[in-house]
Amino acid sequence: MANLLGIASSGLGAIQQALTTTGHNIANVNTEGYSRQIADFSTLPSQRVGDSYAGSGVEIGAVRRGYDSFVVEELRTRGSKLGMASAFESLASGLDSLVGDSDNGLASALEGFFNAVQDVASDPGSISARQIVLSEAKILTDRFTQLNENLQGFERDANNRIDSAVGEINGLAANIAELNADITLALGGGGEPNDLLDQRDALLMQLSSKVGIISLEQTDGAVNVFVGKGQQLVVGGEARQLEVVNNPVYPNRLEVGVSQPGGTTQIISQQISGGELQGVLDFRSRVLDPAISELGRVAVAMTDLVNAQHHLGMDLNGQLGGDFFSALSPAVIASANNSTTVPVATASLTIDNTSDLEATDYLLMYDGAQWGLTRTSDGAFFSDPAGNFALDGLTVSVGGTPAAGDGFLLRPVYGAAGQFGLELTAPDQFAAAAPVVSSQALTNSGSASMSALSVSSTAGLPLAGNITLSFNPDALGVGVPGFDVVGGPGGPGGTIAFDPATESGGKTFTFAGSGGLSFTLSGIPDTGDVFTLSANAGAPGDNRNALLLGAMQSQSLVDGSTATFGEAYSGMIGGVGVATRQAQANLQAEDSLMNNAVAARERVSGVNLEQEAAELVRLQQAYQAAAQLVAIADTLFQTLLGATQR
Amino acid sequence: MTISTAQIFRQGINAILSQQEGLSRTQAEIASGKRIQTPSDDPSGAAKILDIEEQIATAEQHLRNGEFALTELYLEEGAMTGAQNVLQRVRELMIQANNDSQSESTRQGIATEVRALRDELLALANTRNASGDYLFAGFQTDSLPFSINGGNVVYHGDQGQRRIQAGPSSLVPINDSGIDVFQLIKNGNGTLSVDNASSNTGSGIVQSLSQDNSLVSDTYSLNFIQLTPGDPVTYEVRDSSAALVSSGSYVSGESIDFNGAVLVLNGVPANGDSFTVSPSVNQDVFATLNNIITALEAPSTELADNANFHNDMAEGLNDIDQALDNFLRIRSNIGSRLNNLDRQAEVNENFLLRMQEAASQVQDLDYAEAISRLSAQSISLEAAQKVFIEVQGLSLFNYL
Repeated sequence: MANLLGIASSGLGAIQQALTTTGHNIANVNTEGYSRQIADFSTLPSQRVGDSYAGSGVEIGAVRRGYDSFVVEELRTRGSKLGMASAFESLASGLDSLVGDSDNGLASALEGFFNAVQDVASDPGSISARQIVLSEAKILTDRFTQLNENLQGFERDANNRIDSAVGEINGLAANIAELNADITLALGGGGEPNDLLDQRDALLMQLSSKVGIISLEQTDGAVNVFVGKGQQLVVGGEARQLEVVNNPVYPNRLEVGVSQPGGTTQIISQQISGGELQGVLDFRSRVLDPAISELGRVAVAMTDLVNAQHHLGMDLNGQLGGDFFSALSPAVIASANNSTTVPVATASLTIDNTSDLEATDYLLMYDGAQWGLTRTSDGAFFSDPAGNFALDGLTVSVGGTPAAGDGFLLRPVYGAAGQFGLELTAPDQFAAAAPVVSSQALTNSGSASMSALSVSSTAGLPLAGNITLSFNPDALGVGVPGFDVVGGPGGPGGTIAFDPATESGGKTFTFAGSGGLSFTLSGIPDTGDVFTLSANAGAPGDNRNALLLGAMQSQSLVDGSTATFGEAYSGMIGGVGVATRQAQANLQAEDSLMNNAVAARERVSGVNLEQEAAELVRLQQAYQAAAQLVAIADTLFQTLLGATQR
Repeated sequence: MTISTAQIFRQGINAILSQQEGLSRTQAEIASGKRIQTPSDDPSGAAKILDIEEQIATAEQHLRNGEFALTELYLEEGAMTGAQNVLQRVRELMIQANNDSQSESTRQGIATEVRALRDELLALANTRNASGDYLFAGFQTDSLPFSINGGNVVYHGDQGQRRIQAGPSSLVPINDSGIDVFQLIKNGNGTLSVDNASSNTGSGIVQSLSQDNSLVSDTYSLNFIQLTPGDPVTYEVRDSSAALVSSGSYVSGESIDFNGAVLVLNGVPANGDSFTVSPSVNQDVFATLNNIITALEAPSTELADNANFHNDMAEGLNDIDQALDNFLRIRSNIGSRLNNLDRQAEVNENFLLRMQEAASQVQDLDYAEAISRLSAQSISLEAAQKVFIEVQGLSLFNYL
């Protein structure tokens, strides 16, 4: 009888505990990371009664989690990839909307500027048309600097994200370390601390969305966490810290590092794989840097080429054109870690051919034996013991005494758009005219004419005096016709050959020393016919240089002379668009993989309320039965008592 | 297979969210009428649109340049028509004056009118455009191109010619310098000119001057000799180094040929009369008019004066014809530039149309497609919402 009561009460107790577990499941149906718990019933040890064993009831052997370590591992991997894809996509989409907004875009400003230049070509003497060139140029430079500023804003955004991600990673690592300690302690006391394990899994999941991790479970129940290439983040109950450090070479650029024994910090950004951190770092190197460099390249090309053409013109005051846009100089940034032993290493960068520039940075490093130059856009590597390089329209040279590990960041174009500015201030300084005019003498009786006059360099300009060409049938000796040239400094001098009999269709001459003057003579001159090249003056109606400046809009002057200014810019927009589109597709794929992984985990660990409801019914019935058992035992006992009391 | 309650909820919500996202995207497309909202929607299309828009802006600018060029050229053509009319009137007056029935005083009257015509031509040569720029000053558009100094007309411009970008590779000149229009004009017949010595006393009048391919270019003097009155008149032609080129007996109306030049005189030159035949040189139209005025104002009391007058008038008429030829050349240049501009404008407009079509193809929304997509998406969203509510309503707890 006592046995029967014991069995009944063991059943009541065990079923109550199982009901508690079901209740816990129901209560945690919406708890993130919660794993369904299952109470396992097991029989109490039976007692030997005579020749047989009599059962002695039930107990809850263990409360375990619905858990599959492979599924959880997969979930973390996916979380890491999704974290990366999501951070990358959100930054890229932001950039995409920014550059896609035509109100902020360069395209309309470029058109406005060149249209204004062409309007000056129509009416070169008009101060108001010239004023419009200046104001359109100001709009253009403002757009460039504004766009550059907005792009640099993404760099700051990336820095902030790195900073806050590292902060969160450190917080999560500390929490995981604490949980490790608690779990080890709990396991020592026997029984699985299910909810602590769930909490730790949830934290590991959060951590993996920030940065890719490798986690190894130890025999004492603790989990060791590693990031990058085996850098310890959590070891047992101890957490290490990741650090945010300034890039020694790139200005205003944060990197992820770990402290080393001895107080130094090792940068591990390159080794980070997965998670929000990699997404941000990838966005910076694969989308943002190219976009800023491309924009800078357009700015450098416009500055250099428009200035060069403007120098070849003459303004309303008869002066040669000055700088139209403010001159830009390429940036050379020494690493903060460079040796300070005098003479310190120096590097210089000059742009030889603007049209050949690539939209990229270069890293110049000394390894103790030779200098190596890495083009960051594609990783191409060049080396030279003396440190002299000539590539992509650039010349690089070094000085001083370098120590191994010294390095420089060379930025021919990056950020140049931020310095893009208008130098010209007064409308009359716009050089719409050409500095040289030609004329034929009124006394010329032949049919010869001079055409296609152009200048190609500022050497020898403005012309010190007139250059006169007079036709002489015996200029180069008896019977060898040509022009006697007077006043042509640095030109061929003396005479130029021109045979009316064979060259009346047109022959082109170039006087290198006199502004690189080039012109074509055609027709048949008479003896003594004179052509004069002279310095232009006044000439408010001269639009020759404005025409040449206006024509630059449709000339392929960028990217190895394959793209116009506008095409280089639209190429940048296309580049950002392609990267964003890929990022969106990638995010979508990762999202659906993540959904699959979540579904897989939910299958094993998720709470289904229907299931729990059925469980409730089942346990309730069992509880009622066990309670009935108590009643029966009581009835039996009362029966026995009644029988013996008489 | 167990599906957790949270998973059922999540799936339902995800289905609704993704339908909503599609719907809101379609809504944005329809609201803007653009297929491409951000470059990532169609990266190559977005880049292409920018390139096309630049082409459109360029073509529009070329059209605007062309219109400006038309205005300038019409203005120049107007001035040239005026200049032609002036010279035609001068020509008529000269023919009238060249008649022997004219008296000295009527010729003076004609001279006065020619002088007024010269001033009119000068005013035309100093025409300004709407911006106040002188048309015929070359690049020196703010300098008065022609002024009278000591009776002579002086040019202050240069020989520059302004051109306009009317198409991608079409530069159309929009002016002609004053030198080209009014000064670079050959005198005589364009190759040779003949001038009578003002000391001539005979009645020899130049009838015509021409040349053939064998012309030896030089300055020749033709001298008439009649040692004693009554003798036959003979002539000799000497070149610039005084070498005898040709000689013979003079017969009125018969040609005198030498070194490819063919000169016909009428009348009877006197002993010592001479004519100079020289290669044509450039003579500006104002100098031509001044010469004519001088000839008209010269006294003509004697027979010789009359012959000299007729010779000067013939010379002047030749020079006027040369100037008219030059004006005609300038006008036909203007005409061909105008044609060129018209053609270019047509090309530009066609190009503009093609570019606008291309832009539309790349970026414009297919409304029919978008609207049917919108309704399909709303149906899907509604269905997803219904399913969510239905499924969420199912629970065993409802029956406990």
